[in-house]
Amino acid sequence: MRLTPWLAAAALCALAGCAAQMVKVEPGQVTVKEALSLNTANAWNRFELGQMYLSVAPGAAEVWTQDGVTLDALAFFVGVAQGETLGRAIAGKKLPQFRSTMTPGEIVELYEQMVTQDGSAFALKRIAPGRFGDQPGFRFEHTITRKSDNVLLKGVGQGAVVKGKLYLVAFTAPSIYYYDRHLPQVEPLIASVRIRAP
Amino acid sequence: MRRRPFLLGCGCLAFVAAAGVRADEYDYQAPPRFSRPEPSSDEGGLWAYMDREEQRLKRSSFLIRDPALNKYVSDIACRLAGEHCPEMRVYLVRTPYFNASMAPNGMMQVWSGLLVRMQNEAQLSAVLGHEIGHYLQRHSVDRLRDAKSRSSFAQILGIALGVAGGGNLGMLAQAGILASGMAYGRDQEREADRIGIALMARSGYAPAEAGRVWGQLLEESEGAKAAGEDVSTTNILFASHPPQEERREVLATAAKRDWPGATRAGADEYRAALAPHRMGFLYDEVRRRRFGESLVLFDRLLKSSPRDGQVQYFKGEAYRLRGREGDTKLALDAYRAALELDNTPPEVHRSLGTVLRQTGEDAEATRAFKRYLDLKPDAEDAELIRSYLTGSQS
Amino acid sequence: MIVGMRRALLSVLLLWVAAGVALAQSNLAPGFTKLPPNSTIALMPVDVELFEISAGGVVEPRADWTATASKNIMADLRVRKAKLGARATEITGEQDEAVEALNNLHGAVSRAIVVHHFGQLKLPTKDGKLDWTLGPDAAKLREKSGADYALFTWVRDSYASAERKAMMVVGALLGVGMGGGVQQAYASLVDLRTGQIVWFNRMVRGTGDLREAEPAAETLNALLTGFPL
Repeated sequence: MRLTPWLAAAALCALAGCAAQMVKVEPGQVTVKEALSLNTANAWNRFELGQMYLSVAPGAAEVWTQDGVTLDALAFFVGVAQGETLGRAIAGKKLPQFRSTMTPGEIVELYEQMVTQDGSAFALKRIAPGRFGDQPGFRFEHTITRKSDNVLLKGVGQGAVVKGKLYLVAFTAPSIYYYDRHLPQVEPLIASVRIRAP
Repeated sequence: MRRRPFLLGCGCLAFVAAAGVRADEYDYQAPPRFSRPEPSSDEGGLWAYMDREEQRLKRSSFLIRDPALNKYVSDIACRLAGEHCPEMRVYLVRTPYFNASMAPNGMMQVWSGLLVRMQNEAQLSAVLGHEIGHYLQRHSVDRLRDAKSRSSFAQILGIALGVAGGGNLGMLAQAGILASGMAYGRDQEREADRIGIALMARSGYAPAEAGRVWGQLLEESEGAKAAGEDVSTTNILFASHPPQEERREVLATAAKRDWPGATRAGADEYRAALAPHRMGFLYDEVRRRRFGESLVLFDRLLKSSPRDGQVQYFKGEAYRLRGREGDTKLALDAYRAALELDNTPPEVHRSLGTVLRQTGEDAEATRAFKRYLDLKPDAEDAELIRSYLTGSQS
Repeated sequence: MIVGMRRALLSVLLLWVAAGVALAQSNLAPGFTKLPPNSTIALMPVDVELFEISAGGVVEPRADWTATASKNIMADLRVRKAKLGARATEITGEQDEAVEALNNLHGAVSRAIVVHHFGQLKLPTKDGKLDWTLGPDAAKLREKSGADYALFTWVRDSYASAERKAMMVVGALLGVGMGGGVQQAYASLVDLRTGQIVWFNRMVRGTGDLREAEPAAETLNALLTGFPL
């Protein structure tokens, strides 16, 4: 019941027997997974356990946060190829596969499937063409009602399919205070993203 | 919902002796009104636990709060429960799994996955009547005692946990399934079936509909198996109410009996009550990604309402999202069929456009997208769809 | 099975957090040392749940124990409240949606503090400071309670059943360690004007019994050690 999010958040690292840590991302030019370069005016904290299970971004390539695991999350999905899933399925579930010919609407359906695996509810608020860094892409806004603790999250995602691969950056945070607090930092960060030649 | 008066009784289970299913097995006399047990008794503990779960449920973001739908379901449950109506509180939960449960403290839950599957009021009352039967006969308390003494609580917990596709403990705890819907024994199932039928018939509903509910679920399971899907994780109610051939026969026999005055199905009333919510429920259904089951469900709904464009649209969605070999064509067929029917949502044009783009039929895709925008100019994805038409998209 | 895993997680958490205790983290937000003299505190309803661990390690909620613990904790808090006189009030009754949402957010913030401030996953950008907030929406709670600060308490505790205890003895004889219960709790003091968490304490230990009044008071003593009065 209510033990589970507490334990999952706190003890997962202990179980892995790791000297787990968060690594500081300094302001300035940053490279994510050798495929995305971006510029951040603010420092962030990066989860060192790349595969750490976070219900909003299971299996993301990297997740950054300012206030912590249950609050804000900036998730990077890098170079998802044809036939791969966006994110990772949780126990017993199966996720649909990405196709490089998918419309942005279909890609957001992939995102929706990923974040609703644990029973959370997803509502798309807006999707429109946009830029992903210097590439034409799409942008979507949504809400997630987190099943484990009923917290309402707001989110924004931007992505593009380049040379058949999907790149997506998604930011989620509680609708009370946290989303509005961090969004002014997140927007320019995403605008600065450049996809380096794979 | 009327509040249950709390009567502090002797804390003992005095009422159990008086109740029961008698010689004519459908001549059911409900026990007298229940009083709240002593908190320190095991039953008292169970009640207190369920009270807390009820408090949590009241605050859940997944509770369906629409007063009209709540009143509709509550009224049906109330009629079935007769004298015990004031003890019940009905909660509707938005979650696409088939489940209804009633806890020993009078809290009843009905999930949207069940609501979307009922064909008529009679079927809904069959399920609610069955759960009320468990409640009136205190089956869950018996199970709890039995379980603890035989250390099978863990097994039951395991079943309940294992069912929800990965053991989402939070969801099941909220369902109250741990206490109210733990695996019932065969005798208890038989008893609840008979009581459910008796209560249904007294409210004027045709008991033949009861057997259809389970038959429909079994068909869906078979559809899932045929599609190679894992059945065990899909149906929570199955976990706590193992469907057995024997039960189907009991219900079929009951259907053949003479029930003067119990002839109502209430299909139109049910459809009307569900209408404002059904599109959301069908959307949740396809998002489950249990396409074998969903397609069986949709075909059944279409069989009784052949002009239901909304269901036909979601049939297309199921094929599109499944995306197996040959599904693209099946999706297109379904969407095109939906265009000829009533109550078809404008989203059908968007989906048509999306699929036609895949098959390279760009001109028709464009027409479909245009139609979508005509019908829904303020859609959340209107800007995106417009960009498809001007060609300036990714 | 999930519950078995949860038991294992509980035991590991105990050890892991105990290891982290060596590095004492501040319980106070920067710039906050104690409650101003005439400030009022609202006591939020205690969030407590007690469990029993059966012989086989199954964790089962015990509502009767929970009800008792709730009473014991509230009784103790009321005694403390009486000492504070007019300064303390209680929030009772059903909450409206806005307060409920704040409550849920507070839970999420508290978990972040437990993991990232007191736990191993420190956030370098926080620089060791207790720097978390509910944001200005906390004012809604201020309106509702009339208070300047709110105290939240959260307790989860599990106890080995008699059978489990017997098995633990046997296990000890055989040299097999078996986890008994774990008591975890946090207490959080929120400045309702800003939403800032100004004081936070968390506790994880293997002792304590909330089902009896005296040990329950002892638990609260431990939890509220350093409360900035």
